[in-house]
Amino acid sequence: MSTKGYHSPTRRMDLRTGYLMVIPSLVALFIFVYVPLFMALQKSFTNWNFYSASEPVGFRNFELVLQNQLFRKSIVNILWFVLMIIPAQMLLTFLFAHALKGMSKHLGAFAKTAVYVPTVISGIVASVIFLFIFNYQGGIINYLVRQMGMKRIAFFADPWLARGIIALTSMWMGFGSLSLIMYAGLMNIPVSYYEAAEVDGANTRQKFLRITIPSMKNVFILVAISLTTGTLQMFDLPYLMTGGNPVNNTLTPMMYIYNNFKSADYSMGYTVAAALLMMIVIGTLSSFVFRLIRSEKSQDE
Amino acid sequence: MMKTKSRHSLAIGVFTAIALVVSAISLFPLVWMIISSFKEAKEVLKANPLRFFPTVWVRENYVKLFEETTYPFLQAMQSTALVAVSAALLSVTINSMAGYAYARLNFRGKTLLWRLSIFTMYIPGITILVTSFVVVNSMGLLDTYWVLILPGLASAYSIFFFRQFFLNMPMATEEAALIDGATRFRIFLSVFIPNAKSPYVIMGTGAFLGYWNSFLWPAMTVTNTQYLQVMQVIRSYNNMYSNAYGVVLAGSALAALPPIIVFLIFQRHIVKGLMISGIK
Repeated sequence: MSTKGYHSPTRRMDLRTGYLMVIPSLVALFIFVYVPLFMALQKSFTNWNFYSASEPVGFRNFELVLQNQLFRKSIVNILWFVLMIIPAQMLLTFLFAHALKGMSKHLGAFAKTAVYVPTVISGIVASVIFLFIFNYQGGIINYLVRQMGMKRIAFFADPWLARGIIALTSMWMGFGSLSLIMYAGLMNIPVSYYEAAEVDGANTRQKFLRITIPSMKNVFILVAISLTTGTLQMFDLPYLMTGGNPVNNTLTPMMYIYNNFKSADYSMGYTVAAALLMMIVIGTLSSFVFRLIRSEKSQDE
Repeated sequence: MMKTKSRHSLAIGVFTAIALVVSAISLFPLVWMIISSFKEAKEVLKANPLRFFPTVWVRENYVKLFEETTYPFLQAMQSTALVAVSAALLSVTINSMAGYAYARLNFRGKTLLWRLSIFTMYIPGITILVTSFVVVNSMGLLDTYWVLILPGLASAYSIFFFRQFFLNMPMATEEAALIDGATRFRIFLSVFIPNAKSPYVIMGTGAFLGYWNSFLWPAMTVTNTQYLQVMQVIRSYNNMYSNAYGVVLAGSALAALPPIIVFLIFQRHIVKGLMISGIK
């Protein structure tokens, strides 16, 4: 790193200033991340709840969680969401990023702004909008359905339609930022690669397959993993749009944990065990992204 | 020659069509929400695209919204604004200081402290949700502004972002000032901050949007009307006004406005920040 071997005339003062400047963030991270984390680790091995003292129960919480039908259901549901959202979203954002590259300056600027607006909207507001659009009684989609001579559809009463609409809302919200990340990746491919390929007589398809796709590999991984870790923690959309229904078919792990927390029927040790299981998956995925970022960085420097 | 020319204009046509269709899909739901919030109650749920605009433009949904007493709307907007603005300011303050120290200063244990900070990126919110509640509860913070503001302030990502930016500034930046005898903190204030507008805007708007849009944490920690956040009250309206959905739409439209305005003002920086995060 560039700071190594750097001698400043005020070294001792550095020391104190350094500590003073990092302390606020360290204290905050300690209290609001490390303390809850260690508490979760410790409590997950007990039958702790808010009302009574806790006793150690070994790995029983983890066994019970893994056997719990509802938790399993929420895992299956979230995997369906991942499967519905990630491939489709990646393909669409990549294609759109490609189109952005070909657009004139003004058109491109307009399109970038337009797709980015939904990404600053909250999940709650997005849910309200899509509930309205797919409303049974007088939603705009049911109007179109009836115009086509069909009966109104109760979208949120059907497990697959409900999942589909939640997935669609989530994609609508994330489309802009992911497209721009893809676009940045495309713009980052040196033009000289394409020029060299043209000299060698490569056609459009060859350039796409041999240059664009391989150069975008890291961007694809970055987008896929951040999209997956985000989707695995989905809460606002299903919470507001379906409350996990019909019959728990849109219940997500985050909702499962929140509902347990609210109901207090379960021991908190049990709930926290479920939360820790989620961390193993999400933490592994995010560590992969971070390693990728670091390796990219070290190439730059 | 002719062939390439017609091909070129065909390409322009295709790109224009894609841009317009995708932009329309992105913006239509928001426009539809805003337009419908000005319709009479009986017209709101009679979606008719042929009658895109309200037959009569009415304010009744907004009037009802402002008269709502169980969950006062304007109070929620004010409380959310207070939380989101102060959190954004505090957050860039502590994260940029840390980023600067990790980038530019030498002190014992720096690597360890840096690693401890960065490791928190691996810990998803879902894992510490319940125990964070226990922590703030034992600190007596429930139903205060503090419980809404404090827990999200320090961000590993933000520290990382600031550090990266400060690392890339040339060494000469502080040398002249150091020779003049300025302290490190003074140099940070007078030399580094003025030259780091971009990361401050990017991280500040990011924090603002995160706080403004948050729902789950407020729903767990505040119940007193005074502290209710705007997304909480919209969720309640969604349950209360299923027969007067225009009110929910009006509330949502107003709640979506500050994020959109902030985005439009800082658009250039936000998009740039996103592109950097994509590449690096």
